[in-house]
Amino acid sequence: MSDHDEIRDMLPLAVAGGLAPADEERVARHIRSCSSCAAELDDWRLLAGGLRRMPTPQPSRGLVERTRARAEARLAEEAEHRWHRAVMIFLTFFAWALTLASWPLFRLLSSGLLGMLDANWDQAWIRFAAVTTFVWVAGGAAALLVGLQRRSERRMA
Amino acid sequence: MGLDSDVARLRRGDVDALSALISRYQNRLYRYLLRLVHREAEAEDLFQETWMRVAAKIRSFDPNRNFDAWLFTLAHNLAIDHLRRLRPESLDEPAPGSDSGESLAARLPSGERPPIESLLERERFGLLQETMQALPVAYREVLTLRFEEEMKIEEIAQVLGAPISTIKSRLRRSLEQMRSKLEAQYPGDAS
Repeated sequence: MSDHDEIRDMLPLAVAGGLAPADEERVARHIRSCSSCAAELDDWRLLAGGLRRMPTPQPSRGLVERTRARAEARLAEEAEHRWHRAVMIFLTFFAWALTLASWPLFRLLSSGLLGMLDANWDQAWIRFAAVTTFVWVAGGAAALLVGLQRRSERRMA
Repeated sequence: MGLDSDVARLRRGDVDALSALISRYQNRLYRYLLRLVHREAEAEDLFQETWMRVAAKIRSFDPNRNFDAWLFTLAHNLAIDHLRRLRPESLDEPAPGSDSGESLAARLPSGERPPIESLLERERFGLLQETMQALPVAYREVLTLRFEEEMKIEEIAQVLGAPISTIKSRLRRSLEQMRSKLEAQYPGDAS
């Protein structure tokens, strides 16, 4: 391909601002001495200018208002969702802290009475801790599953 | 108030900032969607969906990024999903040179004056819009982003998630097809 043809092929990209600086320079140098390419470039410019000045279609006022109302409602819903999540996280940590604190309390209160009734009170203490942990883990897993399901429902909506 | 300030306020959940951003982008976003899907009812649905998506995802927006590119990426993804569902054939991108096997510039004999000047004088904008609508989606999209939205090529690449070289070749081919179609409609003006 001759230099002339190569430059000619570059002209559409030249008006789209897609040439590297070196190629831009090549094109500029070439069109100074080639009237045919200069005219061709003018035509591409005309087309590009026409595209830039095409009338912009306007969305109706009703559409904009509806969009605004729906998007604002969604924003509020998202904020509420974040708030609920924060409250749930706080309550979960609080409940865990309370449970953990109840274990030594249980041991302290029961050491006298249970100690007399049951020689193996340590096993009762371990059973209590194990049952509590199991209940919490099961509850946590259920909450996680519910949360994941709700998230997928929100995505589908 | 500035764009950055509106975006920052929206990230904090400010409803007024959302309203300000909708006002700021309403014409550009609607035009972009309409160029992609053609049909007003579909463009209107996608317009609403885009802003719903903005409201849902704004907290994950990185303020160091360009908001224009982020917004148009959301709109692009929604529009492409929509077209894929309803008119998958419309997303087919013609193979390079499929129009004629060679570029328009190569087909024009050196020195011949194409009829563009006179064509554009006559019914310029209606004709341009009509011709643009006949192009494949991928071509219409780069044309509207480059010439109507005046995005840089790097920004277009970001919006479309495509390499810069792809964007450049789509731009070139879309302009060539556009011109070729314009000339085909008025062959008599070539003299």
